[in-house]
Amino acid sequence: MFSIQQASALKGGSPLGAGLVQASRSLHTSSQSLAPVPPLPEKGGKVRHGLIPEEFFQLLYPKTGVTGPYMLGTGLILYMLSKEIYVINHETIAALTIGAIAVYGIKKFGPDVAAFADKLNEEKVAQFQEVKDHAMSSLVQAIENEKKEQWRVDGRSMLFDAKRNNVAMMLETNYRERLHMVTNEVKRRLDYQIALQNLHRRMELEHMVNWVEKSVISSISPQQEKESIAKCITDLKALAKTTQAKATA
Amino acid sequence: MMVNSFSQFESPVFLTIPLIQLALILPWAFYPSPSPRWLSNRTLTLQNWFIGRFAKQLLASSTPKVHLWATLLVSLMLYIISLNLLGMLPYTFTPTTQLSMNMGLAVPLWLATVLVGFRNQPTLSLAHLLPEGTPTLLVPVLIIIETISLLIRRFALGVRLTANLTAGHLLIQLIATATLAFMSIMPANATLTSILLLLLTLLEIAVAMIQAYVFVLLLSLYLQENS
Repeated sequence: MFSIQQASALKGGSPLGAGLVQASRSLHTSSQSLAPVPPLPEKGGKVRHGLIPEEFFQLLYPKTGVTGPYMLGTGLILYMLSKEIYVINHETIAALTIGAIAVYGIKKFGPDVAAFADKLNEEKVAQFQEVKDHAMSSLVQAIENEKKEQWRVDGRSMLFDAKRNNVAMMLETNYRERLHMVTNEVKRRLDYQIALQNLHRRMELEHMVNWVEKSVISSISPQQEKESIAKCITDLKALAKTTQAKATA
Repeated sequence: MMVNSFSQFESPVFLTIPLIQLALILPWAFYPSPSPRWLSNRTLTLQNWFIGRFAKQLLASSTPKVHLWATLLVSLMLYIISLNLLGMLPYTFTPTTQLSMNMGLAVPLWLATVLVGFRNQPTLSLAHLLPEGTPTLLVPVLIIIETISLLIRRFALGVRLTANLTAGHLLIQLIATATLAFMSIMPANATLTSILLLLLTLLEIAVAMIQAYVFVLLLSLYLQENS
């Protein structure tokens, strides 16, 4: 960027300081870009009475002290007036008027205008600062979100255990249900067999009873039937006599 | 040396070198070009703000076609205002007091607005010659009057600027001479005339800025109605 020659030349140029820095950067002599740009000075050069740079007073200070430049100025003006190098004419009056207006205007409105210009720049800076702050805050937020995600990932194993337990319980429940169902089905079939056997036995019993009755009834001969009936009648007569006797007694 | 009151308006020549070019170029030295830096010093900030504000205010109510003239109008305004204000300083020459210069600015620009209007929408431009709602009897008369007023615009534009500035400078010179003459005879009168001079100078500064603005404003208006 800077050659050594340029740097040493700049050392002696302190009154013009920053201006030299900017002016000595040659335009497009190398392929390097001119960034980073050296910063501008924050305030302009100090000026006394709004016109004469402070460096002039510093220049004359060693030889003539504090009043030196003022004596020089007064002497110059008086010399020019007395020798009529500068002639007083109507323009002088006009110059005095304009000078008075200019001084009054600058003194009255100068600080306000400067503050306004500074405010314009401040607004620009504030806008970009806001963008930068917003970007930074969103990045910080992203970092926090990332940390939270990492914490969540740590808890993942617990989540998996819980899920595993859930699944095991579901399987167990399912198994028990099926077992239950199987048991019921088997019992139903066995019950059916039992009922079938009971039915068989009952039917055999009934059939046997019916056969026994039938055979008994068929074995009773008619003569036996008559004899038993006659016996029953005599028994009944006898019974009637006894009861009649009992009743009259 | 003052030969007559108008000698301050002679085109300055120094050792046969015409200095009018210097006077014309001088405003260029007062406007720093925008720097490639993002934040600039106060002068540049104010300059950029002023130019932006002025351009926006001048061309806010116009079509995008008129916005093509923004550079020309804003730079014209800055030029005239700096020429006028620099002329307020003592021993300076104000080029805008010369009728030749002002006509040289006014006639081509006015002609350009008229030609642009006639080229793009001839019917509408001609229609401007007759205001709406005029009674039928007055129509021929009004057309003639409007044509004359259209043609007079360039002279009005140039002469307005010239006359205002010349009159102002003349007045300042005369009253300053009067103050100077009174200072040795009747200092009281000199005080009065110097107060008058003060007020007049304030007026002149205002006039300098206003005239520049009016010039450019009228041009933009002619442009808007013709575009």
